[in-house]
Amino acid sequence: MAKGNQKKLRGKPLVHSLLEHYQPIDGVVDEMVDASGNPRPVWKDFIEALEELGPEKLGQRFARADQYLRDAGVYYRVYDKAGANEREWPLAHVPLLIEEKEWADISAGLVQRADLFEETLADIYGPNRLVEKGILPAGLIAASPEYLRPVVGVRPASGHFLHFCAFELGRGPDGRWWVLGDRTQAPSGAGFALENRVATTRALSDIYGEMHVHRLAGFFRRFRDALNGMANVSGGRVAILTPGPLNETYYEHAYIARYLGIMLLEGEDLTVSGGRLMVRTVSGLMPVSVLWRRLDAAFADPLELRPESQIGTPGLVEAIRRGAVSAVNALGSGLMETRALLSFLPKVARELRGEALLLPSVATWWCGQESERRHVLANFDRMVIGPALSTRLAFEDDNLTKLGSALSDEERAELIARIERDGGDFVGQEAVTLSTTPVYVGGRLEPRPASLRVYLARTPEGWTVMPGGFARVGFSLDPTAIAMQRGGQAADVWVISDRPVERETLLPQEHDSFTRTMPGSLPSRSAENLTWLGRYIERSEDTVRILRAYHVRLAETSDPEIPLLADIRDYLEPFGIDVQSAIPSGLISTLDSAVYSAGQIRDRFSPDGWLALKDLSKTIHQFAETVAPGDDATRAMTVMLRKLAGFSGLLHENMYRFTGWRFLEIGRRLERGIQIARTLARLTGTAAPDGALDMMLEIGDSVMTHRRQYPVQAGRRTVIDLLVLDPLNPRSILFQLERLKAEIALLPAVGGEGHMSLAAKEILQLNTAIAIKEPSDMTAKALDDLANEIGGLYSSLAKAYFG
Amino acid sequence: MLYDIRLHLSYDYDAAAGGGRHQVRVLPSTISGVQRVIAASLSFAPAPGERSDFSDFFGNSVTSIAFRDVHDALDIRMSARVSVSRPEIGLDVSPDIRRLREELDAVRSLSPGSPHHFLAASDHAGIDAAITAYARGSAGSSAVSTAMNLCNRIHHDFTYDGEATTVRTRASDAFGLKRGVCQDFSHIMIAGLRGLGIPAGYVSGFLRTIPPKGKPRLEGADAMHAWVKVWCGRDAGWQEFDPTNGMRASNDHITVGHGRDYSDVAPIVGVLKTTGGQVGEQAVDVIPVVLEKA
Repeated sequence: MAKGNQKKLRGKPLVHSLLEHYQPIDGVVDEMVDASGNPRPVWKDFIEALEELGPEKLGQRFARADQYLRDAGVYYRVYDKAGANEREWPLAHVPLLIEEKEWADISAGLVQRADLFEETLADIYGPNRLVEKGILPAGLIAASPEYLRPVVGVRPASGHFLHFCAFELGRGPDGRWWVLGDRTQAPSGAGFALENRVATTRALSDIYGEMHVHRLAGFFRRFRDALNGMANVSGGRVAILTPGPLNETYYEHAYIARYLGIMLLEGEDLTVSGGRLMVRTVSGLMPVSVLWRRLDAAFADPLELRPESQIGTPGLVEAIRRGAVSAVNALGSGLMETRALLSFLPKVARELRGEALLLPSVATWWCGQESERRHVLANFDRMVIGPALSTRLAFEDDNLTKLGSALSDEERAELIARIERDGGDFVGQEAVTLSTTPVYVGGRLEPRPASLRVYLARTPEGWTVMPGGFARVGFSLDPTAIAMQRGGQAADVWVISDRPVERETLLPQEHDSFTRTMPGSLPSRSAENLTWLGRYIERSEDTVRILRAYHVRLAETSDPEIPLLADIRDYLEPFGIDVQSAIPSGLISTLDSAVYSAGQIRDRFSPDGWLALKDLSKTIHQFAETVAPGDDATRAMTVMLRKLAGFSGLLHENMYRFTGWRFLEIGRRLERGIQIARTLARLTGTAAPDGALDMMLEIGDSVMTHRRQYPVQAGRRTVIDLLVLDPLNPRSILFQLERLKAEIALLPAVGGEGHMSLAAKEILQLNTAIAIKEPSDMTAKALDDLANEIGGLYSSLAKAYFG
Repeated sequence: MLYDIRLHLSYDYDAAAGGGRHQVRVLPSTISGVQRVIAASLSFAPAPGERSDFSDFFGNSVTSIAFRDVHDALDIRMSARVSVSRPEIGLDVSPDIRRLREELDAVRSLSPGSPHHFLAASDHAGIDAAITAYARGSAGSSAVSTAMNLCNRIHHDFTYDGEATTVRTRASDAFGLKRGVCQDFSHIMIAGLRGLGIPAGYVSGFLRTIPPKGKPRLEGADAMHAWVKVWCGRDAGWQEFDPTNGMRASNDHITVGHGRDYSDVAPIVGVLKTTGGQVGEQAVDVIPVVLEKA
């Protein structure tokens, strides 16, 4: 349709042509237009601004937002039949607009709800009056896997169970907002909300600038300050605990850690010592007193919670019991997500606070009670029926949660029989109809069902509500299509004021005092991954150089059996590099390993660095499909070298020179030293074939230097002089040793201040020994021994810093 | 009855373990109306770098230990003097299953002894259609008679076999095998009762060996033992049954811990590499003490 229509539109006055085809569904509230099809006040200026841009510009603008997300590497993980895959973040470009006054009502309702949840948890894990009075059924709580007995009776060290909550809301046909589900375990998405905002404002910066949209940064700043405040009281650090890179929202964990400047840790980074939670760093064990956990509580400690957990920290519960660490949120808080609890909230609110709920929950009946069960069975067709203890939203749980009217006769009879028998296992919920909000499809706006996720964070002054959040928008009109795992989209949410809003940023203001803090201690696992990243990148580069030298010669002679080429083939073979394939699988797996190591520590990478690395990996995989040996491979290797240099340059120019960079650098220098020594041993040995020395200079990137330095043809002595003993050649072994000595000396002290570490002693010895050598000393055997000694340095470093 | 109990657990690791953290549940505790602990001690070799004691949710004594140094073996020794004196088993005052359900609903408590903790499926004792059907065949006129019937049937229908299962075997698997040890029989009985709507839990402890006098030796002696506690309604409360031996728990049963199933009372949890079977080695002596009259 697009083209013809657009041409016609250009001739017409532009007012509201975007609305021309916009048809909300009967009986469903639309966010943008009212029942008679007129735009609501808060949307009016916005739509006009879109009209003014016109379809062409609008398309470009939205493409810009997508480009931003791709550049930033925003992804989430989807689990499907093919396993876990990274997907680009599906931004719905048109934000959902909400008027400030309506937002104030939503906020008040959610603050009340968060306070109510806090008091409810304090009662359930404390005196249990709600159960005693018969307001909450004991059986329901006892059966929940989120009711964690090891923390019953434990008062959280921070004084609170809940610090960070999210709520999923939908607007019903009567125009009121309803709470569809509660997120108190480890709510995800706040970081994505921020990225949505950045991407959307890339596209619509001018409109955004004029519309008095509430900013998000202040919310994050206040929560960061609150976490730091909690940590300062007890003198430990704040850390974010992630299940690791395979988690669906790992990107967000790394993003928030980077954005807020908080350490990102996995369970194995932590240990408990003397009842305190400690992070293993390259400077030894350091206390952690606030743990913002992004993993479900049941997996947090294999000793007292789920024993099969591989991602937890043994002893964490003990540290919590002793009050040595505050978990955000407290272990056991996930209980409030239990679907059946929704049906008890009005009574609990009356009991604990003498109040009615300001924001109702979606109507819910727990079938463990006689009259509720009767009600659900009597209204079966209007109900969504699912497991009572589920913590998922009904529309995210379609394996187990069914719409009564959608069942076959047989399924229906079976479900009814089960409800009659084991009522306590089921809840019925009113099937909700969500309101619709516009999405931009094919040059025009169309309505799609949406739900709203709102975040609350605790500060010393009370709850603060993120003024925005994100909306989940369906791809089709089917309301169950909203869930991200099923291909929904996410839209930014703009809370619009009628006055100019305060511009907030995470950066300190002019008048704020500041202190320069050094980066926190580097976790051992990060140090290990950085070292290996350095090694893999260098190993890739060295391999690419050898392969290029090989293919240049192959292209010239087209005989792989000449002695030099046969020698290279035999040399590379034990390293899994088969020169017969232009892009050997061993090289691909080395680069994949580099990506893997970097993926373990994404919080430490700028988006540019990560993209450069992903690009390297993408390129080599593409080459593997297309490139042929000889000339073609020579060119491919040149491309690879350029991209590798690009990545190295990014790191070298942009990484802050502290412990993290130091381990990366050590990894590179170790690997280069080893590779050069090994290759030299082969190509300068007495049995080396003709042309080996020239090839060695080429591999060592020292052809020009050699020509300048030595007025003679390459000989064994000059090549060794330049590639082993010349302290000014950045490719020489001595140069690597000098760099290693300098960096290792600056690593955190182990075994007490003023003591030289074993690695420091070893590198000093090695460096001195090589510095005084003559070219004639460097026999093939001496070079092989040297490669092994450099490798030994890694073991000493690993023992001291990565254990 | 008065007993001196000695337990020795020893583990050899294939490869030396570099540090580790464990929780040990082997110390009997005083339980009102059942047993009294007169003295108890627990020691470890090598000596752990950290040690602390606490009571878990169900009131079991837990010793938490941590090692910083590399070690390739662990020895745990417990000795205790315990006096056991259970009440006489009186008339069956327990209700039928329907009334039991009502009495259960009336229990408004999540205290550790509350039956509500013991009705839902747990890791080792999940609710299983086949086990529930089997248990239904034992349903009697009261909770106590149902439990006793099921206890006797398991004793009769299942074969004691130390090789058939491991500590990780779940009730449903052991039920299929028709063999196992005290842990498996207890889990099957628990799963069956829960399937019928009767709260049931796991008891770990020791069993006194009666010397053979023309009678067969009781199975489960000289190892830690396990049996089942069943909530039999408001008046009868918790009653204990031993499906391994087809009997009610007696003064020969000395309790160490209670829980929903084995995983709540495992003698040792932690990062352990043991060779083969359930534990490296286990030796138990339960010696009746006869105090001489003055």
